Order: sequence, then C-alpha cells, then structure tokens
Amino acid sequence: MKWNKAVSMLCAAAMTLSMLTGCGAGGGNDEPAEAAGADEEVSAEAKAPADIYDHEAIENAGDITLTMMVSGTAYENDFETEQLPNLVKEKWPNVTLEVTKLPDDNYYTSLKTKLASGECPDIILTQPMYAGQNSCYSMAEAGYLTPLNDLDAVEGRQDLSSVTYKGDIVTLTNSISILGCYYNKDLFAQAGITAEPQSWDEFLEDCKKLQDAGIQPIVMGDKDQYVLQFGLYQLAANEIYSKNPDYDTQLRTGDTSFTDEGTWDTVLEMYKTLYDNNYIDASQSLGYGASQAITDFIDGKAAMTFDGSFNATALTAEGAAGAFERGYFPIPGKEGVYTATCLGAGYSIYSGSDYVDECKELLDYWMDGKSDVWKAYLSTGRTIATYGEGADSTPNYDLFKPFIDLLNEGKGFYWCNQAWPAGTETEMEALFSEMVGGQGTTVEDITQGMQDKFEDLLDD
Amino acid sequence: MAKTSKKGVKNYTSPVFTRRMYYFLIPALAFFLIFWIYPVLQLFYYSVTDFNGINYDFDFVGMKNYARVLSNGTLTNSMKNTLIYAVMTVCISNIIGLAVAMILNTKIKMKGLFRTCAYFPALFSAIVVGFIWSYVYMPGAGMIANLITMVGGDGAAFNPLGNYKTALFAIAMVEIWKGFGTTMIIYLAGLQTVDESLLEAASIDGCTQWQQIKWVKLPLISSTITINVILSVISGLKAFDYSFIMTNGGPGKSTKTLMFQVYETAFTDQKMGRASAFSVLAFAFIILITVLMLLYMNKKEVEL
Repeated sequence: MKWNKAVSMLCAAAMTLSMLTGCGAGGGNDEPAEAAGADEEVSAEAKAPADIYDHEAIENAGDITLTMMVSGTAYENDFETEQLPNLVKEKWPNVTLEVTKLPDDNYYTSLKTKLASGECPDIILTQPMYAGQNSCYSMAEAGYLTPLNDLDAVEGRQDLSSVTYKGDIVTLTNSISILGCYYNKDLFAQAGITAEPQSWDEFLEDCKKLQDAGIQPIVMGDKDQYVLQFGLYQLAANEIYSKNPDYDTQLRTGDTSFTDEGTWDTVLEMYKTLYDNNYIDASQSLGYGASQAITDFIDGKAAMTFDGSFNATALTAEGAAGAFERGYFPIPGKEGVYTATCLGAGYSIYSGSDYVDECKELLDYWMDGKSDVWKAYLSTGRTIATYGEGADSTPNYDLFKPFIDLLNEGKGFYWCNQAWPAGTETEMEALFSEMVGGQGTTVEDITQGMQDKFEDLLDD
Repeated sequence: MAKTSKKGVKNYTSPVFTRRMYYFLIPALAFFLIFWIYPVLQLFYYSVTDFNGINYDFDFVGMKNYARVLSNGTLTNSMKNTLIYAVMTVCISNIIGLAVAMILNTKIKMKGLFRTCAYFPALFSAIVVGFIWSYVYMPGAGMIANLITMVGGDGAAFNPLGNYKTALFAIAMVEIWKGFGTTMIIYLAGLQTVDESLLEAASIDGCTQWQQIKWVKLPLISSTITINVILSVISGLKAFDYSFIMTNGGPGKSTKTLMFQVYETAFTDQKMGRASAFSVLAFAFIILITVLMLLYMNKKEVEL
C-alpha cells in the first residue's frame, strides 16, 4: 500500500512539475527579443544601418568555431558540408566552421528544438517572407534573427523586400527561383509551332495544335498536389500581381479578398481550361507523382510540363526520347507576359549567437561576388545568381535568361505562398484537385475555401 | 505472492520478491514519466494555447482550438477516412492472416519457405513499401497497368491513387499486404497451441474440416483473435504512413486520416496548439474505440 501511495505521489509530482515547466515555456521568453508591434508594416524598405559591424571581427577573435545548419541532402564533395568549411579555413585558419545538413523535415524539427533551447547554430537557412517552417518573417517576429542591414553584400540592393522584416534585412540571399513551362522543341516543331506563345490565347492554340497532332500537350504530376502551384502562380503573376502588386498585403488588411472578381477566379478558371480540354489529362495526372511527370517529359511523351528552375537538371536530362532540345518560357497571361520568379532561400544569423560580427564578416566574404567561396558556391549549379562573377555561367543560364530579363524589367513577382500563411496553398490545391477530379467543386468554392482558410490561419 | 495482513491490506512481498525489489522499478518508471507521461501532459497544455511551433511567446486561448477542430470539418472528414481505412485493414488482414495461418499450419512441403514469404513484406519499412507500390499502381506504365495491357485491357485507365473512389482502398490494400504476415504469425502461434487430441476427437465424432475450424479451432484461439483484432484496430486508427508517402492526403482530401491531419495542422499550417487539440481528440477517439472493441471481444471470448 505504501508503495502504491509512493508511486502515486511520484506520478502526481511529475505531472505537477510538467505543468509548471509547460507554463514556464510560455512565459519565459527572455531570449531572444520580444516581437515588435503587430500593427507595423511587415515588409518595408530596409533601414539604414545604425552601426557598422566590426569588419575585422574574425581576425581579432582568436580560435573560434562557428556553427551552421542548412537543409538538403549532402552530396559527394558537398558545398556546404565540405567545400565551404575548407575554404573558410584557408581564408581564416583560426576559424572552424561546423556545418550540419539535414533533410528538410529533420531540419525543421531540429531548428525548432534548437531555437527553443537557445542552442541554435550561428548561421541558419531561412526562406523569404512566410514560406515554409523556416520562414524569415516568422522567425524575425519571434526575435530569432539578427538584422543584416550593415552587410556590404546588401548595399544598394533593391530586390530584398521579401527578406526584409519591419525595415530589417534578416536573410542574405543572392539566388532566385523561377517557375515556368519547359517544352520539347522537337514536338513543338512536329505540331507546326514555330515560336513561344506570347499570350494566353496563343498558348491555348499551341496546346490545340499539339493535341491535334496526337501529342499530349502537358504532363503534370498532380498526385503531388504542390505541383499545381507551378502553373497557378505563373497565371497569378499575369492576372493579379501585374495589376495590383500589393494584393497580398491588402489581403491581410482586408482590402482585398480571394473572392474578388477578376482575381483568383480568373486564374483558377484559366488553369481549369487546360483540364477541361484535356491538355492536362486529369484522369492520369491525379495518379502521377512529380517525378513520374518529369520522366514522361524527358521520355518525349508530352510536349510541356510546368516546373521550377530547381528541377532543371532532371528536366534537361536525357530520357527515352534522347537529347532533344528543350525550351523554357513563362506562361503568358491575357494581357502580357510576367514571371513568377522569387528570391530563393538564404542565410540568417541567429540573434543569440556569440559571434554575430564574425558571421557577418563570413557572409560578406561569401557573397561578395568574387571570392573563392562565391565561385565554389556558384559552381554547384544549384544557384541562379543575379549578380557577381560567373552568374552568367550558371548551368542552363540560357533557359533562365528570359526570366531574369523580365525580372529586371520589373515584371517578376514572388510566389504567392510566400506571402500567405502556410496552409492556404494546400487548401487551394486540395480544392482544385477536387474540381478537376469531378467532385463537383466549383471555382467559387475554391476562392471561398482559400479565403476561409486564410482568415482561419491568421485568426490566432 | 500476496498475503493479507491483520488490517486486511494485501502485502505484495515474498521471500523471493522483497520490498527492495521495488527499487528496480524506479529507472523504468522514470523513463516512462519523462518520455511518455510528460510529453502527453505537454500535449494537453499546448492544446489550449496558440503555439505555432516556433514562437514561444504564445497565449492561452481556452477551448478555442477544440471548438475550431470540431467546427471546421477537418475532424469529420479525417475521422470518416480513418474509420473506413481501419475497418478494411482489420477485416481483410485478419481474414487473410487467419486463412494463411491455417494453411501453413497443415503438413505441407516447404511450409517454412511459405511462412517466410508470407512474412517477408513486414520486414520492409513503410517508406520502401510506399514507394514500391506507387510504381505498382502508376497509371500507364505501372506493374498492374502493364499486366492489364498484356491481357488486352486498358492499362492507361488504371489509376487507383488518382481516383477519389479508390485511393483510400488502394492505400489500405498496401497496409494489408505489408501487415498480414505479422497477423499470420500470431495466428500461427495460437493455432499451434490447439491440442491435436481435441481435433482427433472431433474427427472421430464425424466433424467436417469446416466444423472443426468453427467449433474447435476458432473458440480455442479466441484470445489470439482478440489480440490480433485489437492490434489491427489500433494500427488502422493510427494510419499515417501510406497517406503521407503515396497520396499526400489526396486526391483532394480523400485520403487524409486523423494522424495525417494532425501532421498537416502542426507542420504545414504551423498550428501546433490546434494540432495538439486534434491529437487529444484523436487520442480519446482511439481509446474509446479500442476499449469498446476490447470489452466486446472479451465478452465474445467468454461466450465461446
């Protein structure tokens, strides 16, 4: 009996302790800094730096170890885990850079755990705006990121608004990611198409020509529902952001809504046309994964596929159809051609780091556009840089050039989900799949569903 | 051995199991409290907050998360999908498992090899099985589609994962394929405890094979049936792997199970507080179903 009592008391004590510890987790947020007022503008022009960091911090630091954590899969002679630490050691023998590279899901879990315990690495990988679980806005709001306004590498750059939180640049990124339409030039020629389409009507005509020639116009792997974003965001750039670049900001203030006429209803209707006419075969695409769609494209079973610059290597590989010539164009809109081209993930410095200035010096060296680290970084072929030496030697640069030109002309817009609370796009994808899968869902249901989800996610 | 003291209190000690032996419970108890009880209590705690998984400066929101989960339709949809999935996997894997166990409990040649083959799929991880079956189910070029084409059918039209009506059944079949070997092994162990003399007596009394199964074998392995059914129910109600790997909850929301919805709410929507509330409700639901099943099955055992 005594033992039973003792065990019961132990359990009760543990439960009480756990409750108290849990309560403490909420209240004890003394590190890092408190979030700024919620009514301030989230994204704004970068503030001028109040102080300039110590540009010789590393030289004066003695032997130090900097830590860095990124997501991805480490390859042989991997840039982040092998080349970068070696190049840093060459430049500064007193610095040891320890890099951890984890698969995406592990990275997110590990990052959250380390942030919660105050043991976060000095440099971490973050995404622009609200994209992903490592979005720079969410992390900056929680006070985890150091402002980078005083870096030399950001001086004069006007393209960093999607990594600028309340006037502070919080992520250093120099790469862009593009969404576009890869196409098989041989199959286009076979169907009598001689030029890339410049309007939505021309695009539909080309699809019809391909279909009439017995060629499947477009293949998509809609079983991985995220691929729906590849087409929809391009159309949104054409039909929504080109007319109202502040559309998403206004969504948050309630001045616009997903249900507004001439916005998402138009985009969804346009994309649905491709399924209605069987230019994308929903009966097949809903059972196809993204990689299976890529395989079909390189095997010459379809003339086009919507995909990103991040999959260029796979989409330009030789398949069963041999080494046919490939092109890449932005899906045109009804009144012009715009592009869904956004800043890629970049590097942030943890605000609780003991080596903030050292990390800034390292990042400045890395991103200076000419250093050995920069050259090694570009030579991976996974980065489409917008400046610096060797930017034009990026693999597949010819494919990306038209998009970069559009971006430089001010005709490039970020990917929609970067500005939405995470989860809005999954609702859009699920409802769109239901519509093309014949479940009776309408365009109005989708826009209403997106609006409801958006409001629901912002509600807390 | 439990002795009763003068005050009527049972004393759970003996010369072999002395009081000192209870100290050995402490490490296990500590692990249990730290790694199970504590996280579960944390789950309850987070379920009444607006924690997003990143920002620890969160607030209490009372029962709002519960109200939202119950009102926004995600619980209903995922519960419906989970129940269909669980019923399918429980029924089919137990029927197949029992049938195969009975066959492999007879005196046939190479039964060791057959037993190994039947158990083989259980050795693979869910990730591997999910990827393999994605290609088996692939429309047009998948294994089944090719077989259909070879026999003159329309292989291109075979698209079980892309069809709203079949996607849930398709992933449940994969779970059954992988899991029936484990079920079979447990049934096999149960069948081997059936006394041969009882079967012999039944045979002498003129029982047919079916009557022997119905009136002798099944009643004698009723506790094995209970174990298998309960384990399958728990596994079915916790379904996550194949929805995640093979369909990612799609097409649409047709394969979103309870656990998938918890995952999506926590890691896609970044609503850790709401996901915790969802988990608490799912936990209660699974406990309720399991307890009811257990009571029913135990009652049946006694009747048999």
